[in-house]
Amino acid sequence: MIHVYGVVEGLEELPPLAGLDDAPLERQRIGELEVVLSRAATPTSAEVTREAVLLHAQVVEELLARSGALLPAQLGRGFRDDEELSDALRAQAQELGERLQQVRGCVEFGLRALAKDASEGETATGSDYMRARLDDLRRQDRLVAELHEPLASLARESTLHRGPAGEIRAAYLVEGESADAFRKAAERAEGSPAVTVVCIGPWAPYSFAGTEARR
Amino acid sequence: MSRSLQHEVTLLELVDRVLNKGVVLSGDITLSVADVDLVYVGLRVLLSSVATLEEQAQLAAGGVPAR
Repeated sequence: MIHVYGVVEGLEELPPLAGLDDAPLERQRIGELEVVLSRAATPTSAEVTREAVLLHAQVVEELLARSGALLPAQLGRGFRDDEELSDALRAQAQELGERLQQVRGCVEFGLRALAKDASEGETATGSDYMRARLDDLRRQDRLVAELHEPLASLARESTLHRGPAGEIRAAYLVEGESADAFRKAAERAEGSPAVTVVCIGPWAPYSFAGTEARR
Repeated sequence: MSRSLQHEVTLLELVDRVLNKGVVLSGDITLSVADVDLVYVGLRVLLSSVATLEEQAQLAAGGVPAR
């Protein structure tokens, strides 16, 4: 089973780490693209354990520090052999090349935010419930306009997910030189008395690596 | 945010990225159903962590949780 950590561009050298199952990391060029992978004898190696998640993330982080651009791969997908991997990459080569271009020089920040006066789940009557939901939606609109949109204007690309209880969840693809300004803006929002904001980063651009569901 | 809560939130954000985001080059899915359930439990924990944060922040500000 072949486990892929990511598609890389301009990778200086492999990080001094072993991959899953203690297998050595390898770099492999497929057409115009390069991937970093490790091989395991048993097909069950990609079993999701806390250790596997942390190791995958650590390899990705080390690759980010050594690459010009990186598309982290999702954990939990394995290829049976080199041919299967090569076919999959060649089939998506153009999209992957475009994605690499889009994330080059960028890191990702994640954000979750909830208005402090968001309603509780329990309501006595149907009309109370409807009123509470409407209030949640209004608060959510405000979070989007006052928190998300200014941050998104500092990012090359962003994603926004509206949660069911008025919370928002967003990710931002931020250029390296804008990272400090972005972090300062997020810290100001974290200090706001009216909103609970959690901003975590920088990450490798996990949320912007997919070739599907973009814009 | 307390250090342990910060750690917990960061870990759950990381798990979410590694398992749910990232580029899918296809290949075989090697996740079992039980593992996927585990991830969703984690996300629920994260949401309740945000609610806890909210209360802590209000207490720290000298106020009484409004709800």
